[in-house]
Amino acid sequence: MKQIFIGGIGNILLGDDGAGPYVAHLLESRYDFDAGVEVADLGTPALDLIDRLCGKDAVILIDSIDTDLAPGTVVLYRKAEIMRQAPAARMDPHSPALVDALYSAELFGVAPEEVLLIGIQARGFEPGCNLSAPVKASLDRSIAEVLRELDRLGAGYRCRKHPADTAVWWASEAKSEVAFGH
Amino acid sequence: MAKRITIDPITRIEGHLRIDVEVDNNAVSNAWASCTMWRGIEKILRGRDPRDAWMFTQRFCGVCTTVHAMASVRSVEDALKLEIPPNAQYIRNLILIAHALHDHIVHFYQLSALDWVDILQIPKADPAATSKLAESLSPWTGNSRNQFKAAQDRVNAVAASGQLGIFMNGYWGHPAMRLSPEVNLLAFSHYVQALEFQRKALQVVGLLGSKTPHIQNLTVGGVANAIDLDSAAALNMDRLETIRVLLDEVVQFVNQVYLVDVCAIAAMYPEWFKIGKGVTNYLAVPDLPLDSAGTAYDLPGGYILNGNLAGVHPFKTAADKEFRNAVTEDVTHAYYQGDKPLHPWSGETEPEFTGWNGDQKYSWVKAPRFAGQPMQVGPLSQILVGYAQGHPLTRKYAELAIGKIEAVGGIHVTPDMLHSTLGRHAARAIRAGMLAELAQKHLQLLTDNIAKGDLTVHNPPVFSGEAEGVGTHEAPRGTLSHWVVVKDAKIKNYQAVVPSTWNASPRDASGAHGPYEASLLHTPLARPEEPLEVLRTVHSFDPCMACACHAFDPSGRRIARVKVL
Repeated sequence: MKQIFIGGIGNILLGDDGAGPYVAHLLESRYDFDAGVEVADLGTPALDLIDRLCGKDAVILIDSIDTDLAPGTVVLYRKAEIMRQAPAARMDPHSPALVDALYSAELFGVAPEEVLLIGIQARGFEPGCNLSAPVKASLDRSIAEVLRELDRLGAGYRCRKHPADTAVWWASEAKSEVAFGH
Repeated sequence: MAKRITIDPITRIEGHLRIDVEVDNNAVSNAWASCTMWRGIEKILRGRDPRDAWMFTQRFCGVCTTVHAMASVRSVEDALKLEIPPNAQYIRNLILIAHALHDHIVHFYQLSALDWVDILQIPKADPAATSKLAESLSPWTGNSRNQFKAAQDRVNAVAASGQLGIFMNGYWGHPAMRLSPEVNLLAFSHYVQALEFQRKALQVVGLLGSKTPHIQNLTVGGVANAIDLDSAAALNMDRLETIRVLLDEVVQFVNQVYLVDVCAIAAMYPEWFKIGKGVTNYLAVPDLPLDSAGTAYDLPGGYILNGNLAGVHPFKTAADKEFRNAVTEDVTHAYYQGDKPLHPWSGETEPEFTGWNGDQKYSWVKAPRFAGQPMQVGPLSQILVGYAQGHPLTRKYAELAIGKIEAVGGIHVTPDMLHSTLGRHAARAIRAGMLAELAQKHLQLLTDNIAKGDLTVHNPPVFSGEAEGVGTHEAPRGTLSHWVVVKDAKIKNYQAVVPSTWNASPRDASGAHGPYEASLLHTPLARPEEPLEVLRTVHSFDPCMACACHAFDPSGRRIARVKVL
């Protein structure tokens, strides 16, 4: 049985940066997965990401991205593209993130063979617990990409008849919050 | 003519710490520390239920999740004058200790060792000689010739591939790197082994907190762990035993590897006990409460002014009256509105970005002050405050470390020499030794208390009217305090004064430097265009610019920039 890890990355307090955790919670509420498939909201991990990657056959990560594309655009990156980047100089523990974790895992001989990063273009990262409309509208596309990847990897999942509580607790009472800069 | 050097994360992605130094005759003549990202997350909390605040605050920072959760529940409990059942105190303490052990190990091996260890010297090392040296220092079972040979082979393979990978950014071959090939190999081999033990420490957090990185078991008034020795789903003897085994392994790694490596490397860089002094006002809060009301603690707190250890002022409680009254934040040089220092309960966070200007505003970090003074926080503060009070556990591990450094390098480290870059590293290792011993103690306290038949984990909170509270935690990076004003069961104001804010503080209205800035003054630089020495001192504080936003930048521009003007 393949060991597959699905992780949502981002800060739920910083607007569209919360897209990754949002997707992770939606996946957990809507689907039952085969044993061997683990789903987690990782928040904003640093080097502990290595522990999550270690010994997995495949890793699917969902994270916000910061490019010139239109907000809500979903872009897929594979391992080779991610590792084309240089690791960051380590000024503080946040600096060594995904790229460094993959490089470290490679060095230690425990890196996953397959990595898919599903990037969601953000509109903004201002403090606030809500996603922007274009990012929220794109979440189903990201979920579909996760499922397509599971199909490709031969891992099973079943749609629940009655979705569990979405557990996106942070957005539920944030309606009164006016994000800075808007 | 002074040269200006800027070390700056080039994009807004993860690192947010920027350091500017002026260099004159190959020594730092002036310094500025700044945070490049706005930190206004506290505003999100206004109007919310105080019982939920911890779930939001633990998202402030992906590295220190649990510490912000803990300080938050403590702030509300302080406002409500709510006592905590002993089981809940012990469970919280165990989570805090396990997290801190994880964090200290990660800091030394993953985040700062490569400031001192030259990877490219490793191919020259003799694995047999490395093993002999390592075995003379420690009974650790991971010090065989074959293990060092395997570690060396990994580095050789990376070097042969022409792709340095994770080691792409090091200042290899820098004249300030001075370890023998064997010591470089020893440290690298332990860097690889450290991964396993930092993971085990996190497993303890997960077993008690139900999830990592975001624990789920806190509640205002205690914890939500069900304790039932006969239930497989609850905290039972099996789970306590699993935790004990994991902790024992981590404890062994701390005592036989981490503490030894820090002392051995420190012994080979004696001049770094004279560099990086900076602000010698130290602040630490008592932590690891031993009773419901918080009248006795396993970690002592207090403050020291101007390096005067004999004049140490102890704090009796984690929310000591003197601490409650003395903290203010100054925004003279920070990008916020305001013209006078404010106490956190009346703190404001209204941004006023004006661009970097070293004479005016230059940082998103406010300048916290204690009785008007800049304070250094972190393991060094805690160790000095404890040592000065004659705290037996602090003295035990401090003397152990001092003895090891003397045995390896023949240098007698006096408490005065701890006001330094290496002093901060040594203090963190000393603290890890203390925490390792305390981990086993608090697990025993919990087990014994449960065995007596006490299964209580929670006292329900009762809200009425308006109240102010402060929740403190002596976190891995130092004194953390959350300040809450609760009115009619809603949050009226919330401020977090985090350890890196104390240490990365900009100048205040009087022009006094913050600890990072002051510690860099007079630092000699062998090659100003490769400011390894600046990184050594900044890293010794274990900086963490919390509030990191984590977007992935596919353009790959994320390399920290060193700019020499």
